[in-house]
Amino acid sequence: MAIKAWSSVLGGFHRPRFLRHALRDVEKGTLPLGLEEELLKVATAEVIGAQLASGMRYVTDGMLDWHDIFRPFVEAWRNVYPDGLLRYFDNNFFYRIPIFRGEPEPSKPILAPRVRAFKELIEPAEMKVVIPGPLTFTLLSKNESELPKEELAKSIAKALNMELKEAVEAGAKAVQVDEPILIDPYLSLDDINIIDDLFKVLFEGVDAFKILAFYFGVPKKDIYERILNLNVDALVLPLAENPKGFLNLVKEHGCGDKIPVLGIVNARNIYDDDYQHVKDLVKESLNTLKTEEVGFTTSSWLDLIPYRYSLRKTTILGKYSEILSKELGFDYINPLKII
Amino acid sequence: MSGFEVPKKFPTTVVGSYPKLDPAPEVLRRYRKREIDDKELHELIKPAIKEVINDYLWAGVDIVSDGEQSREDMVVYFAERMKGYTVGDWVRIFDNTYFRRPVIYDKVEWKTPMTIEDWEYARSISQGRPVKAILTGPYTMVEWSFDLHYKDKREAVLDMAKVMRREVEEYLKRGVKYVQIDEPALSTRPWREDAELVKEALEIIFKGVSAKRIVHICFGRLERILPYILDYPVDQFDLEFKNSNFRLLPFLKEYGFDKELGYGVIDVHSLQVESVNEIIKDIEKLMKLDIIGPEKVYVDPDCGLKRLPREIARAKLKNMVEAAKIARERW
Ligand SMILES: [Zn+2]
Repeated sequence: MAIKAWSSVLGGFHRPRFLRHALRDVEKGTLPLGLEEELLKVATAEVIGAQLASGMRYVTDGMLDWHDIFRPFVEAWRNVYPDGLLRYFDNNFFYRIPIFRGEPEPSKPILAPRVRAFKELIEPAEMKVVIPGPLTFTLLSKNESELPKEELAKSIAKALNMELKEAVEAGAKAVQVDEPILIDPYLSLDDINIIDDLFKVLFEGVDAFKILAFYFGVPKKDIYERILNLNVDALVLPLAENPKGFLNLVKEHGCGDKIPVLGIVNARNIYDDDYQHVKDLVKESLNTLKTEEVGFTTSSWLDLIPYRYSLRKTTILGKYSEILSKELGFDYINPLKII
Repeated sequence: MSGFEVPKKFPTTVVGSYPKLDPAPEVLRRYRKREIDDKELHELIKPAIKEVINDYLWAGVDIVSDGEQSREDMVVYFAERMKGYTVGDWVRIFDNTYFRRPVIYDKVEWKTPMTIEDWEYARSISQGRPVKAILTGPYTMVEWSFDLHYKDKREAVLDMAKVMRREVEEYLKRGVKYVQIDEPALSTRPWREDAELVKEALEIIFKGVSAKRIVHICFGRLERILPYILDYPVDQFDLEFKNSNFRLLPFLKEYGFDKELGYGVIDVHSLQVESVNEIIKDIEKLMKLDIIGPEKVYVDPDCGLKRLPREIARAKLKNMVEAAKIARERW
């Protein structure tokens, strides 16, 4: 039977110019009330349109209003505050360090309202929601609470679990958990040891397609082995940025019972990715992985390159996935395919 | 020039950037809109540089900078002034703040002095205090640009090093005493290969340079690259300590650090002004470990002060200078 294939952009998009300006006017207090939300909807519709037109099976809302991956949650949870800026991995981009002064208490849901607002627009594709993983959230925050780190991590996982359950109830079909901290070569075994428990809490009662993503590097072998035991359906392998590193990993360790989601399009440069190179990478990975289903994605979110390139990379992902599937005999799922 | 002398122990300095003071924001806006050219920019920016220098003099900083008032961004500024670059699109730095990440489309080459004018002006009003020459490092230039020409990072970085070397020569002609290369991107990729590439680049930039050679690196996991950078051809490492709670100190001891140290005691990401006492205690942390003597310790902030409100930046510098004075008596 032919391998089932599909594609999905990994995460958020860069903001278009009019939205950047609108948000700036909001800060200055010069934008009429309510206009911000309207403009956000327009911008969101644009990136959803780009994903649909490119044949994505799972579509995100682009997270255009998120200042960083943690911020909407930090702002919606009591006992957590955004603090000073810190570099986000190896990017010239900074996130605000969340400071926990106690157990996070959600005051309002973040994901569910977005699912309700956009799922109709996304049909017949399916909506994917993205959250920061509890381990990354914990380790990139400052713990000023009385709780030991493991307890704090668990309480974060619990709050995120509520988010996911509500999002799925609202109609999200796929949930993606981002744990970029897993590529940290100095991640301690003590820290990685709590991830199984965290994921149990995180996914309890969450009935959706579960994807685990990490990016900006290659995890160490012992970490990767642990990742393979986590309770997710699919695993993102961001090949484009570190082809050799990932090919070595999968050759040695496979990807367990997980569906591989291959990051074939580099989301941190502005070249058009080389098609032949992409095809070779996919062939080489799938020779090793022996899977019945494969996803294609970008190597990280599309928010670190200019807006027009974030759209262009989406197109490249769609086109390459489709042509590749044809050439390699996969059964490609394009929800919008007409002929 | 007055007979100002840099103190022998615990001289105070700055990393470089300062909050944009009037009229810099307006001048930069006009420059961006192409209403004024480069020459006018450097002329019109002078009152801002003067304000910066006034703040330094008021606080009593020994080795100063021009406050980088003309530089909207540390990469874009240079990219706009050399061959091989084209203006990029907006990319986010944080929140809703963006920079135009420049694009390398051809071999990069030095065209004309890029930073001399502001430096010379600062020097003319600094009452004898030396003004650092501060250049963005070649590795950081390349890492924070998009590259459509070189497919090979090493080649790009080494060409960029030649551009910066040429700029340094302009300074040498004018008798510069301190040359600082900023490589903040290095700590984000703490791999041996990258650290060694920066070393090669610094060898190009600093070959035969008799002025004080400084490299500034900040944030990220500095302890990881420390073993690979200790033999850099520099006299001084200017590093961030305060923000990472002096985590790096034991590693300096462990690796037998013996160069000069720009010792970051001011957190540029915090609005809280460090007290004199707190700074002295932080200096004590270094002195207790007996790694280097006080004549090798340059007291300064973790990084540029540009994101702080002016009043806070001033207050922080003032306390830093006070603390250094007391330290001179104690050690
Ligand atoms: Zn710095």
